[in-house]
Amino acid sequence: MTLTLFYYLAITAIYILMSWSVYLPYRIGQLHFMTVANMAISAYFSALMTIHFSWPFPLVLLAGTLLGALTGFAVSTAVGDAPCFAVVIVGFTFIYLTKTVIENVEIFGGPLGIFNIPKIINSSSGNRILLIIIVYFFVFLTGFFINRFDRSKLGRAASTIFVDRNIAVSFGVNPKKIGMFLQTWSSAIGGMSGVLYAFIMRGISPNHFTFNFIGICMTILFVGGYSTMWGTLLAAPILWGFPLILPESLQAWNIVIYGILLVIILLLKPEGIITRVMVQRVENIRLFSGKKVTPKSPSNKKAAQ
Amino acid sequence: MNVLTAQFFNGLAIGSIYVLLATGFNLLLLVARIIHFAFPVAVVFSMYISWILITLTGNVLAGIAGGIVSAVLINMLTAPMFQHIMNKRESVDINTTMVLSMGLGMIITDILSHTFNQGFPIAFPDTLTGNDKGALISSGLISISRGQILTLAVGVVFVVILFQLLYKSRIGRAFRAIAEDPNEAKLVGIPLLKTGLKSYALTGLLGGVTAVLMSVLLGSASAGLGDQLGHKVLAVSIIAGLGNLTGGLIVGLLLGILEALIQGYFAGSWSNAISFAVMLIVILAKPRGIFGLKLRFQEI
Amino acid sequence: MKKIIHLLFISSLILLTVSCGGKNGKNETKGTESADRAAAEAVETAEVVVTEWNIPFLNCLTGPIAGIGEYLQWGAEYAAEQINAEGGIAGKPVRIERIDTGMSPEKGTVAMSKLVEDALVVMGPVPEPVIMAAVPIAAEEGLYCFTATTSYEYAAEYFPWAISFFPPTEEKLQIAVKAWAEKAGAGKAVQFVENYGAWPGMAKAHALGLEAAGAQVLENVEVPTDAVTFGPLAVKALARNPDTIIFACNAEKVAKIIIELKNRGWKDMNKILIFSSADDAALYTTGGESLNGAIIYNFSNSNLDTPRWNEFSRAFKEDHEGMEPFSLSPNYYDAVYMIKRAIEETGVTGDPNKLAEEREKIMKYCNDIEKFDGLQFTWTNRGGFPADKPLFLFEIQNGKKILVDKIIPE
Repeated sequence: MTLTLFYYLAITAIYILMSWSVYLPYRIGQLHFMTVANMAISAYFSALMTIHFSWPFPLVLLAGTLLGALTGFAVSTAVGDAPCFAVVIVGFTFIYLTKTVIENVEIFGGPLGIFNIPKIINSSSGNRILLIIIVYFFVFLTGFFINRFDRSKLGRAASTIFVDRNIAVSFGVNPKKIGMFLQTWSSAIGGMSGVLYAFIMRGISPNHFTFNFIGICMTILFVGGYSTMWGTLLAAPILWGFPLILPESLQAWNIVIYGILLVIILLLKPEGIITRVMVQRVENIRLFSGKKVTPKSPSNKKAAQ
Repeated sequence: MNVLTAQFFNGLAIGSIYVLLATGFNLLLLVARIIHFAFPVAVVFSMYISWILITLTGNVLAGIAGGIVSAVLINMLTAPMFQHIMNKRESVDINTTMVLSMGLGMIITDILSHTFNQGFPIAFPDTLTGNDKGALISSGLISISRGQILTLAVGVVFVVILFQLLYKSRIGRAFRAIAEDPNEAKLVGIPLLKTGLKSYALTGLLGGVTAVLMSVLLGSASAGLGDQLGHKVLAVSIIAGLGNLTGGLIVGLLLGILEALIQGYFAGSWSNAISFAVMLIVILAKPRGIFGLKLRFQEI
Repeated sequence: MKKIIHLLFISSLILLTVSCGGKNGKNETKGTESADRAAAEAVETAEVVVTEWNIPFLNCLTGPIAGIGEYLQWGAEYAAEQINAEGGIAGKPVRIERIDTGMSPEKGTVAMSKLVEDALVVMGPVPEPVIMAAVPIAAEEGLYCFTATTSYEYAAEYFPWAISFFPPTEEKLQIAVKAWAEKAGAGKAVQFVENYGAWPGMAKAHALGLEAAGAQVLENVEVPTDAVTFGPLAVKALARNPDTIIFACNAEKVAKIIIELKNRGWKDMNKILIFSSADDAALYTTGGESLNGAIIYNFSNSNLDTPRWNEFSRAFKEDHEGMEPFSLSPNYYDAVYMIKRAIEETGVTGDPNKLAEEREKIMKYCNDIEKFDGLQFTWTNRGGFPADKPLFLFEIQNGKKILVDKIIPE
């Protein structure tokens, strides 16, 4: 595997995971930006534990994920069912707090960051192959569970909350419990991505965890389609990778081109490229071997709007 | 005491910028149902247009006029894009419009960062800022410039006028009716196009005036200025209660004072973290903002 | 299409060579003459395989510091233009490949991972977040990076595969600050510090310099990275009644804080010292006449009067609306010339089969280059950084820097 391919695939996986971590709480309409703070906290935690205490990678990964889940859970007890805007403020606050602490406390390396995070195994190419296997294993695992969730009772309850909270409550759904569950899960994914990111880049600094990062994840989610988990898989490799293949003469304009593309896609497909109806159709085609069946469930239709 | 008073006035200076931007942001929300996350970026773009015209013509008035016209034009061009997205949805949705706004902000910031003045920050001449005359009021550490007084005064006056206009006048009610439901507004006889255009022009006008006032107060601008202000303006609007003009005025000023006090008495690099932590506590206590939402949002 | 562009480019280079050759020849210093002689000898002994030397430059052409990226790129491309007009590197033209990272560590990483496959040498990345993400890859794969605008501390992390054009921060800055503090009669200073990159480290060096001059730092006023107004910080500083003020923060912020200080009665401009990283367009466009009298220290001297500098300065002004070259403007110009000398003197051929060996040759040569004819002065590298670069103190007057003191390291 070439180095370029390794970095491209590995960073794509991180963007997929992080966009999914934004997708999950958005199932009930919350923009949970705190996940980027979780990513930073766990990345720094893993770097320190590996460098100073020689913790093995599996332990660091587990601890980093748990750390994310715990912080997410603690915060979710307060904002589990808060309105979207309140959750946005929570995210901003945690990002600023994390960034400030990292920049000002010496053990975190200040604005310079922490570097020379060891490899999982000694061989460089072996380390890369192993990392790709690990990262995509977790992408698969996370995707599998999200898919199960989306199809479960809980997932349908989340869709109902998204469409109309009052109806959901009248059906006996507890929005706070679902919110807490989704926020905790999202933060756990954030924490896990942080550890993986630290081991992929082998160096981290406060500049890696910025609002720009959220911007890219939001773009991936909304361009890909926020009503299903599949849009992320399509948009992540294209959107973040696209400026890399622009010709040299257009390099200085890559952000403008990216922005224009984003605006055009949003104007043409405000729900994103892959919608729930589309996924349903594909599934029906598969199920009924070629027969086209339009989904009739009202909740699905509404949720896709 | 002198230091405390000085910091209080310093806080009002940055606070009045938050007020103007939050008012523009809220106005877009009220009359066009747009969550324009990048509104500050569009304002900074108008500051650049002002600067170009002043540099080319040497005439401050041309610059002021240009800034206002450009803000109105940007708004006229972009507002339909937002509405196109929303037309396909039945209710206000902060998230898709937020991403569109981010996309537009990205384009504008990047154009500013390497085209105008070769990407370097721009500085406005003293004829506009009045910096050559020094501070208007100066006593010990207290220094109040013309720009500071003008910005604060205009901020307050705008909020009062807009409040009257939106809630007490016929045209204001028409603006809000169209924003809420264009079809019903049409049924009750409101001319859609004409009123819609007027509402866009009004918000553009506010953006333009904000751009001019920020040029006077800050004296310079850089491509990243809009992004620097974006989060705070969004936060101010959320804390106050989205769409709440008076709330935006009060919270904007309070945030400015809070920041000045943190920077003055504690470590400056902690000012964002502490300001947001305070705002977090407020929003946890009042999830719909201190002064309440002024719009019916999708219940999420 | 790409081929046509290449052909056009090469033919325009040939035209340029023909038309400008004579004119530029007059401006050459003795140093470049000797380098050319060496080049000629090297060309005779080693056979160059490439038809064109391609030097990739990982720069920031978009994003918040695109303005700086633009003039760094300008310096590199201007050097390439001059070198080509003078006959190229070992007889072959040189071309600077533009690669934009937009300050994104991820983009920088992927771009660098592509370059380690076949690049002979890399210029950049710019700035620090991208350096920290991308240079480790290059260091591991044995690709030499000219991180010419970063502080020594960043490059040292990846020595010998990264080079800095600045000496270790603490050692040199102390001397400059001490010289200024003694002259300004500093007793009690306040320092404005922004928590970005190497700046806190530079602030520490300033404090040591003040101590050496018998003065003390009353307070480090922290400057928030996204601050928009600066009244609170100015009041905080003045409330301590300092007699001198030092700046270690972003150029635009320095200018704005100085305006706020003056509005609150600060008069003694000679008692303000601005650090080298703020010697940038933003300082002068934002500060204007308010900066008059303030002192700034720097590693480059814009008052130099040599034919080569004058020509560079003229061309820079022509392309930058009359603005004087900034302190970092010569860095990548010098980097291209250093690469030229390394290729010619070590007999690098550009042969892909000898890539690893030739990369190492360039690295070893440049890390300890002797008497390199830089645009401003001749210097010698020791262990990947300049050992004998002078440091200057200037007084700012109407956007111009007037030389006050020159500090030559022992």
